[in-house]
Amino acid sequence: MAPHSPAFLFAALAATLGSTAVLAADDASMVRDLKATIALQGLPCDEVINAKRNADSDYLATCKDGHHYHVFVNAQGRVMVEKK
Amino acid sequence: MPPPAAAPAAAPAPGPAVLPGKKPVDTAVAARSPAPPRPAAPASKPAAPAPPTPPAPPSPPAPPALNLTSLEQRLRDTHAIGIFTKLSLKNQVDDLLDQFRALYRGEVAIPLTALRQRYDLLMLKVLSLLQDSDPPLANDIVASREAIWGILRDPAKFATIS
Repeated sequence: MAPHSPAFLFAALAATLGSTAVLAADDASMVRDLKATIALQGLPCDEVINAKRNADSDYLATCKDGHHYHVFVNAQGRVMVEKK
Repeated sequence: MPPPAAAPAAAPAPGPAVLPGKKPVDTAVAARSPAPPRPAAPASKPAAPAPPTPPAPPSPPAPPALNLTSLEQRLRDTHAIGIFTKLSLKNQVDDLLDQFRALYRGEVAIPLTALRQRYDLLMLKVLSLLQDSDPPLANDIVASREAIWGILRDPAKFATIS
């Protein structure tokens, strides 16, 4: 097997880092979205520090102040935020 | 009898104040030159010709015509708000529209002032979400705020959008 050239390794590293950055950006926007959604329901959450995806449009958000919320879209198309 | 108190020595006449960088005026000439006499006021003012009326200031530009469809599409397309947030806002807009429908059908008796408060609150939520990330859209919504309320509060206009 031919050894990989430095250029190939660099390209692979850049691609890996690039895809990681995209995922991080997606996560950050999702966290912002969840935080705004919780706030729109009038519920307290200073900062979302973790978001676990259960299914499409279904998340479990953990806030820095210790609150946990189940954020999902119900069958009627309404965004629901339930305190866990 | 005690001698009268010595009168204070006559202070030298203060010179004209000279601002730094300003050329002092010729005080001698200034002292010699009497003030120009004021013309005596005429007993009766002659009818002066009316000064030409200045042109009216340009009126402020008319607000752009309200385009609800465009605003709605821009709200759908903006990246300033996430999917969940957009759907939450849509739920709340729909709730408010339902209250107007119920009011105009005579099903409930909600004071218009209460609906105005809910409308204002919803607008504040939308604007707070948009103002940093999509200022042009936030500005256009602010500009349309009263026009939108004008539609909501008028049953005939409201019927055209619902």
